[in-house]
Amino acid sequence: MIEAIHLHKRFGTVTAVEDVSFSAADGVITGLLGPNGAGKTTTMRMLYTLVRPDGGTARVDGVDVVRDPEAARRALGVLPDARGLYPRLTAREHARYYGELHGLRGAALDARVAELVELLDMKDIADRRAEGFSQGERVKVALARALVHGPRNVLLDEPTNGLDVMSTRAVRALLRRLKAQGCCVVFSSHVMQEVAALCDRIVVVARGRVVADGTADALRAHTGKDSLEEAFVSIIGSEQGLME
Amino acid sequence: MRHLIGTVFRKELRDHFRDTRALGTAVLWPLLGPTVFLVMFNLMASWYRQDRPLELPVVGRARAPSLMAFLERYGAHLSEAPADYEERIRAGSLDAVLVVPEDYAQDFSAGHTASVHLVVDSSRNQARHTIERAHRLLQAYGQQLGGQRLSARGVVPELAVPVQVEELDLSTPERSAASVLNMVPLFLVLATFAGGMSLASDTMAGERERGSLEPLLLNPVPRGALVAGKWLATVSMACGAVLLSLVAYMLVVRRVPLEDLGLKARFDGPAALGMLAAVLPLALAASAVQMWVSTYARSYKEAQTYLSLLMVLPMLPGMVLALSPMQSQTWMFAVPVLGQELLAGEVMRGEWLGPVPFLLAALSSAVAAFVCLRFTTRLLSRERIIFGRS
Repeated sequence: MIEAIHLHKRFGTVTAVEDVSFSAADGVITGLLGPNGAGKTTTMRMLYTLVRPDGGTARVDGVDVVRDPEAARRALGVLPDARGLYPRLTAREHARYYGELHGLRGAALDARVAELVELLDMKDIADRRAEGFSQGERVKVALARALVHGPRNVLLDEPTNGLDVMSTRAVRALLRRLKAQGCCVVFSSHVMQEVAALCDRIVVVARGRVVADGTADALRAHTGKDSLEEAFVSIIGSEQGLME
Repeated sequence: MRHLIGTVFRKELRDHFRDTRALGTAVLWPLLGPTVFLVMFNLMASWYRQDRPLELPVVGRARAPSLMAFLERYGAHLSEAPADYEERIRAGSLDAVLVVPEDYAQDFSAGHTASVHLVVDSSRNQARHTIERAHRLLQAYGQQLGGQRLSARGVVPELAVPVQVEELDLSTPERSAASVLNMVPLFLVLATFAGGMSLASDTMAGERERGSLEPLLLNPVPRGALVAGKWLATVSMACGAVLLSLVAYMLVVRRVPLEDLGLKARFDGPAALGMLAAVLPLALAASAVQMWVSTYARSYKEAQTYLSLLMVLPMLPGMVLALSPMQSQTWMFAVPVLGQELLAGEVMRGEWLGPVPFLLAALSSAVAAFVCLRFTTRLLSRERIIFGRS
């Protein structure tokens, strides 16, 4: 369960996030949709505790991200915008390193890493060094290390950006699986089709504010448009960033 | 917390040891000092050997008996020149040959200027020393004779010598050897910087450049623990470099004739331990400063540039100390880098200063390390550092 409560963030004179509130329930995939520069990434960063909000706060399973960021991080699995790997470590070592940083050790860690290798279909790259991995392989490793501690809440910033069809499908399958396990999944995207294909609930962000919040059907009904795309254009008031 | 620091520490070292190129540099740097040491001492020992008697083959020895007696009195070893001496000089197997012409005796007795020929090849650097010595001896003979002739005619010889140039050569083998020996503390201190340099660059700037810092900070680990683990990995590389350097020095010293050069230096077990006790604490501070500087850099290369500049810092006092050793005062030991260089120098010269300077030097390094680590940890909360990528 993730709740954003009047999040607000300025960088100098530029307001990145004006006022964002929403809540993402367990067992539901919530999409944060908005054009480039709408404040999605900054909102995500506030949720995963690396950016401190200037106003408002967020709670992860009831833990306040401003007051207790470490506990919030424990409850979160995050695929951030930056997915850098260590070129000299193998895929498995990446997952193990993060697992150890989460306090996993010994047989439990081995079992969990083996499980992830299976889940993400990385058997052929598990013991290869990350140097020279393809974009899709890199995302798999980044996901493995984000999920190594079995988090109940998963945040993903543009998870399918730059991926080919096969990798995109693999990521979607993973998100559905997490949902089936009862996880709270929040992902941001500027690609409407992506959000439409996956999300149970859509939070539309534009110019730092939440401008619509609901299921795809509710958004269509609200705007009186037949297609989801038309609905978005009408909500955001421009076509910027919705086409890909 | 201990587990977390250990995890970061092990990961950084494993990662670093797989980087063969960086590791190669980390090994080569500490060996630089001992190599310079070996080369310089062997060079100096060969200069020293040049203080052997002057070997001077002569053509026509019998024609100038008093000149020959003079030369021999001043230590020249005279011999009969081989017939092909010109060839040999060109080839470099002979440095110089003195030729006494047939009319020498005649001119000499008549009181004319008698000439002798010094056959040399001036393009040969090696021969220069011998040529100069032969030249000086021959000139001295001429002056002595001229003086005698003037005296015999009732003239004070000084009249003919309005100005006399006397050369004072300060570069005795002892002095130059001592200045090379004084470089040892400098190179040991440099090793504390060189050893951890590439790891410090990679672990902070490299982490930013790759975009792996943001995910790393998402783990429920206090930033202080991350910084501590990375710092300890850097420190251990630095300590490794110092150890490597010291072992290399001890091996080299056995092959170098220190006593022949009149030098007093200790390189036995206790002295080595003393130098370690003097220099190793500096690794704490050096690595911490490197981490801090590296955090500001956006890329591995940028960090390497900054850290190379940082290495000039220990060179400055080190060079000054090597060229003109100064009287140490207590406050100097509390200045990181300067303190270690002084201490290592004193240990090498076999002087025992008591435990206070050692403690002072170690303590000041520890404090500097603590301050730099605090700064580094604080930097990791800055959004500009976490997200600011080139």
